[in-house]
Amino acid sequence: MRPLHLVVAIACAAVAQLGAAAVQNTSAGLQERDFLTRVRRLTVEGRRAGEGYYSPDGKRMVFQSERDPANPWYQIYTLDLTSGDVKRISPGIGKTTCAYFRPNSDQILFSSTHLDPKSKQLQDDELAFRASGQQRRYSWDYDPEMDIFALSEKTGSLTRLTTARGYDAESAYSPDGQWIVFTSMRDAYNRQLNATEKAALERDPSLFAEIYIMKADGSGQKRLTAEWGYDGGPFFTHDGTRIVWRHFDESGLYADIWTMKLDGTDQRQVTTFGSMSWSPFAHPSGEYFIFSSNKLGFENFELFIVDTAGTKEPVRVTYTDGFDSLPVFSPDGTQLSWTSTRGGGSEGQIFLAQWNHQKALEALRNAPPRTMNVRK
Amino acid sequence: MKRALVLATLLGLAPALYAQAPAAVASRTKTHVTTLASDAFEGRLSGSAGEQRASDYIISELQRVGAKPLPGQDGYRVPFEFTAGSRDGGSWVRLGGRVMQRFEQRADIQALSFSDNADVSDAPVVFAGYGIVVPDSQGFAYDSYATLDVKDKVVLVLRYFPEDAEAKTKGILSRYSDLRYKAMAARQHGARAILIVAGPNSPNAGEIVPMSFDTALAGSGIAAASISGAVADAMFATFGDPGKTLKAAQTALDDANPHAAGFEMPNVTVTIHTDVVREKKTGHNILAYLPASSGTTGVQKPWIGIGAHYDHLGRGEVGNSLAEKGDIGKVHHGADDNASGTSAVLALAESLASQPRKRNLLFQFWSGEELGLVGSSAYVAHPAVPLDQMAAYLNFDMVGRMQDNKLSVQATGSSPVWSRLVEQANISAGFDLQVQPDPYQPTDVASFNQASVPCINFFTGTHVDYHKPTDTADKINFEDLDRIVDFAAAIVKRLGDTPEAPTFTKVEQKTDTSGRAGVRIFTGTIPDYSTDVKGLLLSGVIGGGPAEQAGLQKGDVIVEIAGQTITNIYDYTYALDVLKIGQAAKVVYLRNGERRETMLTPAARK
Repeated sequence: MRPLHLVVAIACAAVAQLGAAAVQNTSAGLQERDFLTRVRRLTVEGRRAGEGYYSPDGKRMVFQSERDPANPWYQIYTLDLTSGDVKRISPGIGKTTCAYFRPNSDQILFSSTHLDPKSKQLQDDELAFRASGQQRRYSWDYDPEMDIFALSEKTGSLTRLTTARGYDAESAYSPDGQWIVFTSMRDAYNRQLNATEKAALERDPSLFAEIYIMKADGSGQKRLTAEWGYDGGPFFTHDGTRIVWRHFDESGLYADIWTMKLDGTDQRQVTTFGSMSWSPFAHPSGEYFIFSSNKLGFENFELFIVDTAGTKEPVRVTYTDGFDSLPVFSPDGTQLSWTSTRGGGSEGQIFLAQWNHQKALEALRNAPPRTMNVRK
Repeated sequence: MKRALVLATLLGLAPALYAQAPAAVASRTKTHVTTLASDAFEGRLSGSAGEQRASDYIISELQRVGAKPLPGQDGYRVPFEFTAGSRDGGSWVRLGGRVMQRFEQRADIQALSFSDNADVSDAPVVFAGYGIVVPDSQGFAYDSYATLDVKDKVVLVLRYFPEDAEAKTKGILSRYSDLRYKAMAARQHGARAILIVAGPNSPNAGEIVPMSFDTALAGSGIAAASISGAVADAMFATFGDPGKTLKAAQTALDDANPHAAGFEMPNVTVTIHTDVVREKKTGHNILAYLPASSGTTGVQKPWIGIGAHYDHLGRGEVGNSLAEKGDIGKVHHGADDNASGTSAVLALAESLASQPRKRNLLFQFWSGEELGLVGSSAYVAHPAVPLDQMAAYLNFDMVGRMQDNKLSVQATGSSPVWSRLVEQANISAGFDLQVQPDPYQPTDVASFNQASVPCINFFTGTHVDYHKPTDTADKINFEDLDRIVDFAAAIVKRLGDTPEAPTFTKVEQKTDTSGRAGVRIFTGTIPDYSTDVKGLLLSGVIGGGPAEQAGLQKGDVIVEIAGQTITNIYDYTYALDVLKIGQAAKVVYLRNGERRETMLTPAARK
């Protein structure tokens, strides 16, 4: 799960104003339609859907959706972008999230709790709870039983790639399909915690989230980040030389976009946007990242682009109130897909639009140099 | 430069997945819309020569594509009778007892449009306050009849609802203050007649209720008439007590104290004659079908209905015209409403005629929609194809004004099949869909939902030309109308090819509509029903109306009125109930995302 609804759900008057006065006017005169045309809705069925990722040939998408009548949580589905056929590929038991196609392979990875013996019971309890007409506020619970699996579409066999206790998710393959970068909270479970750390785990396990890398078969797992605060949502850049991810500060209210080499060295901060900036994804041109930020209002996430070196201020892309996040570019760079509440209601669904790459380059050229929004 | 080269390939040469369909294909809907919306069709009012001409055109087109009349039916037309208008045919009232006075001028007495034609002689009279009964289920005790015996008597009640009640109370009471509802309450308590007077503290004080447009074929089981303040005063005068006046009686009730009861009027009797002349006309639905291509053995519910209403407002004579002053009486072309939907169904019939199908396709063109879904209601009451043989019904109402690729699909809550089918078909159609599960829509889809048939409605949103003579064919977006036809064809194809029939889901109605909330208030706003924005998006304002005077305009989103937050159309109608005519209320709205305030002074709706 790359989104941070848990954090978003924290009503915090103190930050509700953040950025509002200091909105960067880099995008003066620009509108959503300068970047996005032929906006269309991809998912309709079910309570919510999100995190759609393209297959390497751009002909399919894998996404998560709450649409299985027998399971109240996200399950993983593939969508054929020509026929519209949708197929569930996850086990149907427990929670799942964050799928990704493996290049040069028939595998799709995703995270799942289906091996947890309590999964079925928890699922039935939740269904009964919802059937009673009650609703919880949406939150993501960082289930420590969440592990990463790879499914072979040909054989249907499911290979477990991580076994550590603690949430393992938010994973993506390298462009050559040989590596997986992922997020894990295992650091909270694999050692003796001191009193401060124990209290922190009770409050918010995501503080322990760090970025890891492993081989595609699950071997050679290695930690890449060490800073306190939620590190997550990593992806490889399209040339496979760097990892882009988001790093939260300890408050859980501010996040910025970072990049690093595959061995964890050369960590560079790309944004200092003074807001909650997350879900970065690289454009295939290598020129810029797209990400989501609540710069314009605590519960109003909009998409922004920023040059990969972070020399300029981010440029606003979407202009629709509500939730616009989890953006991805199609492999050919001509389309943008993202998760949005613009279809009505409070629950996200997946949208798609034609992407104007030339306009993006032009807007980034015209953007003012980055200012350091140093907080506190 | 290798990387740059690779990227050039990626960005420049790879075919886009969603390439636009090749252009320059002739529109399949343009001729239909242009023809049906032309002057010669005179606005296609139900029961008129324009309706006749439109039905001739539709039938000739159906014949051209090979759609046939249903077996056992005499041709394509199915007539239904409706009330095209009503007038008072000479009602009068005579007071007896301490006063002997007869009133027969229309300024003093007029039957209500839903009144029975009846005679009541020398009946005792009871003043029953506002005549409001809030059902127990609402958890709010208010019953004007609680302490009264009105059996075989005439009740005199006030129009509207208590004027000075607090906002929330008013909101509840107004829902049960519709005249039809008051008449029903009086009848249920055994009264023989109900007389309505607009009290001195109310809008339209002392005035007769105009004869409203009502499509009911018969009366509502009770004599019901509106009387002037003069008649009511004459009745109150029989108390011989200067303190006991209509005004005093109303004022005692106006804080909505449920314990302020009505009373008998022992010194006066009423003899009344009510006479409503209902002008009956005949409208025509059109039915045609394309049989399944391979028999329907093993197919559950072997029919799919595809329909649209083809009637419109004529020259605006039926009362729901929004024509600007200079345009009153002109032909209402109804190009979007609903030549567009009619044309979509004709184009669908043409495109589906050549395809194999496992179900029979029933094409249904409704008249009387603008009068209150009269044609489709009549059909559902006497269906030509049994309703339990209908797998689904697809409706098209106003599909010709697509903007920014936005299409509303409505009533999807009527079956779980819709979200799946819509999602799948939209992968190639590529609309920016607004999905509205609510099946209680102001169009013919509601008739089928009522009949437990899974149903869906397509809608591209309302606009400033809605119900005006300016809804013309030159403003139709034919390219996107054709895309809607293809989208619906893909859905029909999937439906038709699946042997199992979709299941129907009953959706609970969001608000109680037994009362016509806020009907006496006129704000001059035109809400946009097609969006789910938080607040009330205006698709326009009525020229010279209160909203325009308050500076509101198309695109504004009303988020608060008189201290009540507005998140949807239901909140809005609820808020209207509590506004006071002539009293300015603060309106908070968003314009281009910026929060603004203005004062709006509601006017009275006559």
